[in-house]
Amino acid sequence: MSRILSTGGAINEAIAIAMRTDPTVILMGEDVAGGGDRSKDGTEEMGGVLGTTRGLVGEFGMNRVRDTPIAEMGLIGTAVGAAATGLRPIAELMFMDFLGTSLDPLLNQASKLRYMFGGKVKVPLTVRTVSGAGMQAAAQHSQSLYWITTGIPGLKTIIPSNPVDAKGLLLAAIRDDDPVIFCEPKGILNQSTEVPEGDYEIPLGKANIVREGSDVSLVAFGATVRIAMKAAKALEGAGTSAEVVDLRSLSPLDEEAILTSLEKTGRMVIIDESTPRCSIARDIAAVCVDKGFDFLQAPVKCVTAPHTPVPFSEVLEQAFLPSAQDVLDSVGQMG
Amino acid sequence: MATAISMPKLGMTMEEGTVIHWPLEPGKAVEKGQVVLVIESEKAEVEIEAPASGIFRHIYIEEGDTVPCGTLLAAITETADEPFDVDAFHAAEERPEVKGDRGLRVKGDSDPKPGTTSSGTGARKPIAPAARAVARKLGLDPQQVAGTGPNGRVTKQDVEAYAKAREALIPVDRSVSLEVLTSGTGDPVVLLPGLGTDVSAFARQIPLLAERFRVHGVNPRGVGLSDSPSSESYDVAQMAADATATYPGSAHVIGASLGSAAALELALNHPERAKTLTLITPFVDVSPRLRALGDAWPRLAAQADPETLAATLMPWFFSTSFLADDAARARTLRGLAQTVARVPATTLDRMITGMLSWSNSRSTDLSRISVPTLVISASEDLLVPDSGLIAQAIPGATLLVVEGAGHAVALESPDLVNQAITAHLG
Amino acid sequence: MGFTGPELAEIYRRMRTIRSFEEKLHELVSAGKIGGFMHLYAGQEAIAVGVCAQLTGADIVGSTHRGHGHCIAKGVDVKAMMAELFGRSTGTNRGKGGSMHIADIEKGMLGANGIVGGGIPLVTGAALTAQVLGRENVAVSFFGDGATNQGQFHESLTMAANWELPVVYVCENNGFGEFTPTDFVVPVKDIADRASSYGMRAVIADGMDFFDVYEKAGEAIELARKGEGPTLLECKTYRFYGHYVGDQTPYRNKEEAEDWIQNRDPLDIFETKASEAGVVEPDEFRRIDGEVAALLNEAVEEAEEAPLPSVAEVLTDVYVRYEG
Repeated sequence: MSRILSTGGAINEAIAIAMRTDPTVILMGEDVAGGGDRSKDGTEEMGGVLGTTRGLVGEFGMNRVRDTPIAEMGLIGTAVGAAATGLRPIAELMFMDFLGTSLDPLLNQASKLRYMFGGKVKVPLTVRTVSGAGMQAAAQHSQSLYWITTGIPGLKTIIPSNPVDAKGLLLAAIRDDDPVIFCEPKGILNQSTEVPEGDYEIPLGKANIVREGSDVSLVAFGATVRIAMKAAKALEGAGTSAEVVDLRSLSPLDEEAILTSLEKTGRMVIIDESTPRCSIARDIAAVCVDKGFDFLQAPVKCVTAPHTPVPFSEVLEQAFLPSAQDVLDSVGQMG
Repeated sequence: MATAISMPKLGMTMEEGTVIHWPLEPGKAVEKGQVVLVIESEKAEVEIEAPASGIFRHIYIEEGDTVPCGTLLAAITETADEPFDVDAFHAAEERPEVKGDRGLRVKGDSDPKPGTTSSGTGARKPIAPAARAVARKLGLDPQQVAGTGPNGRVTKQDVEAYAKAREALIPVDRSVSLEVLTSGTGDPVVLLPGLGTDVSAFARQIPLLAERFRVHGVNPRGVGLSDSPSSESYDVAQMAADATATYPGSAHVIGASLGSAAALELALNHPERAKTLTLITPFVDVSPRLRALGDAWPRLAAQADPETLAATLMPWFFSTSFLADDAARARTLRGLAQTVARVPATTLDRMITGMLSWSNSRSTDLSRISVPTLVISASEDLLVPDSGLIAQAIPGATLLVVEGAGHAVALESPDLVNQAITAHLG
Repeated sequence: MGFTGPELAEIYRRMRTIRSFEEKLHELVSAGKIGGFMHLYAGQEAIAVGVCAQLTGADIVGSTHRGHGHCIAKGVDVKAMMAELFGRSTGTNRGKGGSMHIADIEKGMLGANGIVGGGIPLVTGAALTAQVLGRENVAVSFFGDGATNQGQFHESLTMAANWELPVVYVCENNGFGEFTPTDFVVPVKDIADRASSYGMRAVIADGMDFFDVYEKAGEAIELARKGEGPTLLECKTYRFYGHYVGDQTPYRNKEEAEDWIQNRDPLDIFETKASEAGVVEPDEFRRIDGEVAALLNEAVEEAEEAPLPSVAEVLTDVYVRYEG
């Protein structure tokens, strides 16, 4: 059974299912209920800055759905400590840009406690965060910082591209016993599709071949999957068969899927809405050149945002973001 | 029981210290906490206290010596007369080795990969890694493959196409196979092209011949898809011997320019394999003008693109009247460019070397030729002026002089050439 | 006094164990036998032991880079701790953590922490777990005066006060944050003054006196356990060694340091008070000293003999499970 849900609705459903099936799952963050004491009887809450968590305090109460002060380091650090001592918290970092104010508990605590303690503790924490550009939220509320969390050993980083995947991946992330950063890209939030009811998980660490093809591989994730599909359609019209790989998971990374696709087509474009230096795109390109060298028919192209902050004006922000045309230009250049 | 006094590590960056002063003599009593040593580290003197009471027993490191942190400096024993083994204590107190600079192992430089014969001094074309991998697997040199990718990049598909085409090659010698284009049915006719061209030089002859004969157009070593074994020189006699491996029994042998030199060798060395001989613009000596052109030709092939090379060669191969015809010239230029692209600079070098060493070696042997021979020469041939003399030296040879034609007479005046050949082959 | 002879002896043993452990480490590090950064707790024993004597096995503590004392006070095995410092696979952290991350979850020790202030939110989280799940345990965060300048301190206490979490924040004010005197960088007279920013109860104790710490910690822990929220307990103390082994403390007044070390040693203060109560034999303390010294020598010997972790362990326990 399916019904139409937005990405936010699918995420809401995943959280609710997780909280119903496990009493140690709690939700905490800034305005996740909203309205302070008005949430006591569950009728007046806001459900997050984008409404994603509406309804949850009504069902689960203020013991398990907790509004925190605007104190990212404290809220995330507390969530880490709670995860290490028996809870399974979902902590919300309102915008991924706030990784700056919350990095220490993730970088130096959550990611390392298990390792430093010789495997004797686990940190089953999920940090949900809204990432990416496209809403004119400007430089400090539009960044895609998954390249930072991906590079930190001990963390996992997950990024869905559509409502169905968002629900399944989030359920898997919450139930995963390692700390997971779950990105909710702005570019997919207004998507609505049929989403299956019920409890289902999509395994972390496995990419999805969204479209099969034989001439060029378009590797995308989050908001760029839609761009890749648009480019693939245009390429088909011009006689080029494009394969679209939706990574779903940045750490762990499904290297096997990437290299299998490269072996098939010999040509790859990686589409990443973040900035280029030390990016996911270039990381994958290096893997291809190292482990897939003999498959290469052409240079591996990276389509990314430029090395700049995110601009405000709509025309500038649209120019900042990767587009299907950028993908077509790369395919044309690579030969 | 002995207690060690070792060089302490007094800060995160301290690596070594210097023993400045031992205030006690060995044998003297010492109290725990008493200053038993003064050291210097990073410009500061520091007093070191005895870690235990007893007898200051033995000094290992003298005043003035600088040692790394952790080095055993002295020993204290509980009593003066208990046994104390200086060396054993030293050995026991040595700090255990943790991973340091053990001998570093450098992997030997990998041997140069076999099978990558350089195709010469020409700019190396770009080769996609996938193409390289396929070439390696098939034992082919990717530099030999025509690249259809951007900037002439050799793609995997290019290598695969090349490999497929090579399946049709004829083996003529140990590890040498040649590209032989065959058409028609009937008695065999063998075509031997000249310097810097391939079998397409006979484009105006092949269709007609194929009506009555089985035509074997032999591209010699280094030309087109034929193998280019590494060698200083591609000898003319070898060219002839190679050709004999490409057809059965005895054939009508037709050679042009350097190909006619090979035809002469064939007739001399393997007379039973030649039914008739047709020599188009032949020579037994390399003319000074041909020698001079041969000096420039390979260098131009290495540095210029095929179109430029073809345009430069045109005035040497064709007559004035032909060159005056713009349409004919343009048409021929395109074809000639494609042809010269199939002859790399190294091949030209090798063929010219072979040609020059053959020069003047057969003048006196022409009289021994027993095969019915037709010589076709061109009156405006700038490169080979003395073909007519060859007709005189070969017993029973007939001569056709095509008036107003240049060195590439078979292309320029096909009707006359074909007529003569048809008559000669019977 | 309220303590029996054996109880006092046990308290003394705990404190002496901490002191001797730290002294032994000083020797070992100075001799180059142990690597890494070592921060010694000597001088502050009364606080760790005084607070932990009021805790059960289910209660959770978190600590700082100066964490050996809290481990020992919470019952972590001394030999396993020594093995950890020698980097052995038999160590509390299997050789993967070292001095600044030494931990034993089963004993309720959430770990020493290398980030100043980094342990405070973690302990706050442990208290959150207890509150959400309706458990009876409390959580105690040990930290220094320097940590109270950290944002993590401020944010954690804010949250704990808002939610009335079952947590006690114990600030060990030893007068210095690394090489800088506390009064140079903390703009309030007592750290306890900061609690008012959170509407939180604050108490000051004499950190050199086990009995004062014990009593005041007991009150705070009781309140937390009853659901009446957190307390900030400031204990005034002094660290007898430098910030780390190798620090010659040129920034400290020599006479002042000598005064603390000679005249305000918490072990001496305890021994005097316990002896006055008349329930412990005088030789008992010396006997305990001897036993502790022997224990530490054994711990060092066993640690030196213990196996090093295999190089393959570099790659283990990063995740519970990592496909991909």
